[in-house]
Amino acid sequence: MRLGETVLFVGFTGIGTTLLLALLWAPSVSINAFESPAAQRIFYWHVPAAWAAFIAFGALFVGSAGWLFKRSERMWRLHVAGSEAGLATGLMTVWSGCVWGAAEWGTPWDWTDVRLNTFGLLTLLAIYVVLGRNSQPDGVETRDTFAAFGLYGFVLVPVTYIATRIWTIRHPGPVVGTGDEGSINGEMGLVLLIGAVSFTVFIIGHMMASMRLTALEQRLERMQHNFDGGA
Amino acid sequence: MEGMTYLAVAYFGMLVAIALWTWTVVQRSRRLDQRLLAMEAASTKTDGEDESKA
Repeated sequence: MRLGETVLFVGFTGIGTTLLLALLWAPSVSINAFESPAAQRIFYWHVPAAWAAFIAFGALFVGSAGWLFKRSERMWRLHVAGSEAGLATGLMTVWSGCVWGAAEWGTPWDWTDVRLNTFGLLTLLAIYVVLGRNSQPDGVETRDTFAAFGLYGFVLVPVTYIATRIWTIRHPGPVVGTGDEGSINGEMGLVLLIGAVSFTVFIIGHMMASMRLTALEQRLERMQHNFDGGA
Repeated sequence: MEGMTYLAVAYFGMLVAIALWTWTVVQRSRRLDQRLLAMEAASTKTDGEDESKA
């Protein structure tokens, strides 16, 4: 088994463990504080998935900048891996958020909430970059176009991050990294930490596997070209 | 208890979804490895035939 695949399976096992702990071990929240206390446990999936999405969008930004400024094939592969990982983790975050919103707020989406909409836009950007790139022949112009989207689209990441610190409309504010003790206890924090580490390992494994896949595809294309006489 | 059942179903669905995504990536990688090996074998065979003709 390749390194990327091994990292991927370690991360996947960690995610499975996180969900088991979240279901069976993490303490319940007060029934007075939440409309749907059971649904609150979606948080152990939703927050680490969003964290992994930010890592993936960071990789997309670095890969896009590396391609545009250095014309590096390795950076292009990082762009491809980052966009695919960003799409998957973005959908995981949006979907789990909709499940929680439906249970807690009575509606899966709020069009007036800044955090929801900027994160939704980020996910749409990843959909556009992945589908658009796959529908176009590979070439410098295609790469430049999608790398520009990856580069400038990254501006949505800090906006999404600070959105609940500036405008708390519907999405809850931060529960960790706030400077004070936060609103989660030790056991909840531990499960969340295991989840964040597992998702990080998982998404790094996916990006490694994805970069290798792109390298194999490029090698195959070159061989095919040489085999056909370079026509 | 009903809420926990829904939650367990949601968790299971999400795990299946990422397992499928992972499986797709691994399968694509395996298929590409095989195609590369086949291409290399075909290329070696063609080179050998060219040399024997010369």
